[in-house]
Amino acid sequence: MEQGPACRGLQLLTTTQTSWTIPLICILVPLLFRWIVALNPYSGFNTPPLYGDYEAQRHWMEITNALPSSQWYQYDLDWWGLDYPPLTAFHSWICGFIGLRINPDWFALDTSRGYESPESKFFMRATVVVSEALVYIPAVWCFCRIVYPQQQRKYLVLLLILMQPTLILIDHGHFQFNSVMLGFALWAINGYLTKHYLLGSVCFCLALGFKQMALYYSPAVFSFLIGTCISMPKKQQGLLLFCQLGVTVITAFGLLLSPWLASVDDLLQILHRVFPVARGLYEDKVANIWCALNVIVKLRNVLSLESTVRLSLCATLAAILPINIHLGMSPTRSRFGYALVNTSLAFFLLSFQVHEKSILLPALPISLMLYDEPEAAKIFMNVAMFSMFPLLKREGLVIPYFGITLLWNWLFGSTSFSSSTMINIIKQMIYASIFIWHVTECWIVPPNHWPDLYTVVNAIISCGYFSCLFLYFTYRQFYPSSSSTNVFGESSVVKIKST
Amino acid sequence: MNNLFIASTILKILLIPAYRSTDFEVHRNWLAITHSLPISKWYIEKTSIWTLDYPPFFAWFEKFWSMFAQFADPNMLVVDNLEYASWETIVFQRLTVILSELVLYWSLQRYIRYFGNQYVNWLVAASVFLHPGLLIVDHMHFQYNGFLYGILILSIVEAKRGQLLLSGILFAVLLNFKHIYLYMAPAYFVYLLKAYCFTSDQLSSFSIQRFITLGGAVIGVFALSLGPFIHQLPALLSRLFPFTRGLCHAYWAPNFWALYAAADRCLIFVGKRLGWIMNDAALGSMTRGYVGDTQFAVLPDIQASHTMILTLIAQIAVLQLLWRKPTFDNFLSSLTLCGFASFLFGWHVHEKAILIVLIPYSLMAANNKLHLRTFIILSAAGIYSLYPLLFHAAETPIKITFTLLWTLMIVTGLAFTMKTSIKSILHPVEVLYLLGLIVLQLYSSIVHELVFGGLEFLPLLLTSVYCGVGVIYGYLLAMINVCFTC
Repeated sequence: MEQGPACRGLQLLTTTQTSWTIPLICILVPLLFRWIVALNPYSGFNTPPLYGDYEAQRHWMEITNALPSSQWYQYDLDWWGLDYPPLTAFHSWICGFIGLRINPDWFALDTSRGYESPESKFFMRATVVVSEALVYIPAVWCFCRIVYPQQQRKYLVLLLILMQPTLILIDHGHFQFNSVMLGFALWAINGYLTKHYLLGSVCFCLALGFKQMALYYSPAVFSFLIGTCISMPKKQQGLLLFCQLGVTVITAFGLLLSPWLASVDDLLQILHRVFPVARGLYEDKVANIWCALNVIVKLRNVLSLESTVRLSLCATLAAILPINIHLGMSPTRSRFGYALVNTSLAFFLLSFQVHEKSILLPALPISLMLYDEPEAAKIFMNVAMFSMFPLLKREGLVIPYFGITLLWNWLFGSTSFSSSTMINIIKQMIYASIFIWHVTECWIVPPNHWPDLYTVVNAIISCGYFSCLFLYFTYRQFYPSSSSTNVFGESSVVKIKST
Repeated sequence: MNNLFIASTILKILLIPAYRSTDFEVHRNWLAITHSLPISKWYIEKTSIWTLDYPPFFAWFEKFWSMFAQFADPNMLVVDNLEYASWETIVFQRLTVILSELVLYWSLQRYIRYFGNQYVNWLVAASVFLHPGLLIVDHMHFQYNGFLYGILILSIVEAKRGQLLLSGILFAVLLNFKHIYLYMAPAYFVYLLKAYCFTSDQLSSFSIQRFITLGGAVIGVFALSLGPFIHQLPALLSRLFPFTRGLCHAYWAPNFWALYAAADRCLIFVGKRLGWIMNDAALGSMTRGYVGDTQFAVLPDIQASHTMILTLIAQIAVLQLLWRKPTFDNFLSSLTLCGFASFLFGWHVHEKAILIVLIPYSLMAANNKLHLRTFIILSAAGIYSLYPLLFHAAETPIKITFTLLWTLMIVTGLAFTMKTSIKSILHPVEVLYLLGLIVLQLYSSIVHELVFGGLEFLPLLLTSVYCGVGVIYGYLLAMINVCFTC
């Protein structure tokens, strides 16, 4: 990575530019590519009757502005009922409020269903970019400053994290607001790294309040906090911190749920919408263990719904308990980083109702450690993009898929300098399999009795690679190498302690 | 340089789904005509309104691409398929633009090789290869300028190397691709005459042999180009030089006539107050946005001949310097300033022609501080004047972000190579002018809709006039710089 184009380009710029232009360039370049990807169609473009995620978000902006909050989780649930926690609703309210001032037709109650126009598309795309610029980008900037005080490295990492393909394609192509949730989660991480535990916890509550998917991080966060409380030098300090955290979290959630606190029914309805347990173990073909097993054993037919829930719960707990206990015992920065990766990846592989976009959750902490785990980060990103290809292809996002993924890989540079030949061979095999899949998928039509052949093969091999990566990152958490000790700025903390 | 190429190619591929103007259909039509019809029909064919109006080499260029087009989507080659734009067609045509820019890439590599392998030359080459103007006009609006400027730069590099005959031939080839480069022809003529045909400073050293070689070569190129079309020559010439189109294009290029027309509009306003008698027909015509003969209400009407005379005067001012001291540097400034003069005073100038000023000027930008200062103002005004070409909201953040990135990297880089700080280059009034561009953009995209809701020509008029001021100011600075440093 030291010889990659991004690094060399930044070195050149550092010597020839004034110092304020470099961070500006590192932020403008990702913004430029976000706007370019935004030119493409969004989820559900021009596909009546139901359209897609874009219509869902538009609809939520419509109902939050037209209806009182008691109706938000009740109104006509068949047409994209709200199924995210309240902060998404508040955020939609703000966006809709501004949008209605520009053109009331965009969010008129009931009559604007399926509304599509270039101007409304631009507005919606703009809401994603602005939301990201207000929450996620400053969080990444702050993280880089905390973890990499050396000037050039922090800009390099800033650029590479911001150019990470999964988030760009999903948020600015497919159309979602994951960057807000990930931004808040990252602010929480920033808070914890700088010992602002209460502020960090507030941010994490905001992340959870925006999308319940942030629960994938919660075991790691919880273990980290508990471990910190326990390992405080004085028992009272730890207990005090624990109580403060409890109060903070309860207050934060109380505030988020305040419009609905009066009615238990309303709260139950929100819970019901946010955690739809009746939908089954898996949906569509995702790179998840259960989908992969589905090829051999049709679990949906063999076990009842409750059994599958229990199976998934047990498997997930079996995976995350050792990881988080290990973290709780010694809550260092690098263990925290790895635990975030491992917990979210375990949830992705073993949990209930996972969809392809959930890969964004492990993608965040992995991208945060890309400087110290370059090989694994690069493989992970490529496999993550590969696993999302069927979704992206359905929405006409093939060109940005190849463009942004290749761009990020190119910026990163090659990482084959350090490792053993065994790892190199595995890497080549992974990339070769991806390449072969793409070539055959493009040219050869699947046989009639297996129309989803390519998607299923994609899901299975992605699942396999994710599982290998999960084992690798878990191994690294338990047996850190010399470079991985600097994950999340661990070694700078160690240096401070030792001087 | 390779890294630059990879990054820019990915960027351009990502822009495939961007807005395409009618120029896309123009080129599809030309692919169809050159593929499906015999040569004799190329300049006669008018099924589509977008008739072939570039010289023959460009037609052969289109024919070359049409040979591959049939593998992408044969339907695009049917002449009657007007407005045909299947996904394969779009991808294919966008790729032809990207691939033809390889010529520009190669020419810039030669530029670096022969102008000196220093950072400043690399920076200039990068600024041309990733020029926002080229990105907007070629890769979004849809044209093939990158390829053509590649040939121009090849010609300039040959002139730098002293291979003047080759330079002349390349220029003749370029003229037969797109005749807009005739704007620069006087500079080539004077330079090649004085530097090549005269073997030394004395007037007596005129070499008939060299003159005949040069003349023969140029005539040979033209014969090769026009020869096959000898029977369609009148039709060809009328296609290439359509003089009935009016002084100003529908969207006024930011040149002298834009300011002239704006002044006329202001004077109409004053005149109505003071009760002057004015040309009634002119009162309604110019702001309607169609192409036609422009009439002025208060100021005198301008004929094509007037524009030609003014252009020639402006060009002669520079050419006489070139004649007296035919060095390469003077040649480069003359050809830029001749093109500039034609842009400012010419008849029916398109706003896209600003590239003919911006790109050659980039090669001079690092020569001295005054040139850098002019380059900054000229680039800002020039690139901004191209923004109305992309009038959809979706492309607006792209063009603005890209221009900002380009400016940040190039201007600070050039200032570094000249060991000056950015603050000391520009005069405060100029900085205000540049800030005014930001205000203008905010007005055009947001405020105008809210305040007026109609009157679409007003932001365009303001853009033309504001950029026109910047462009003319840049011209004056450049002229002073060139005339007083020779």
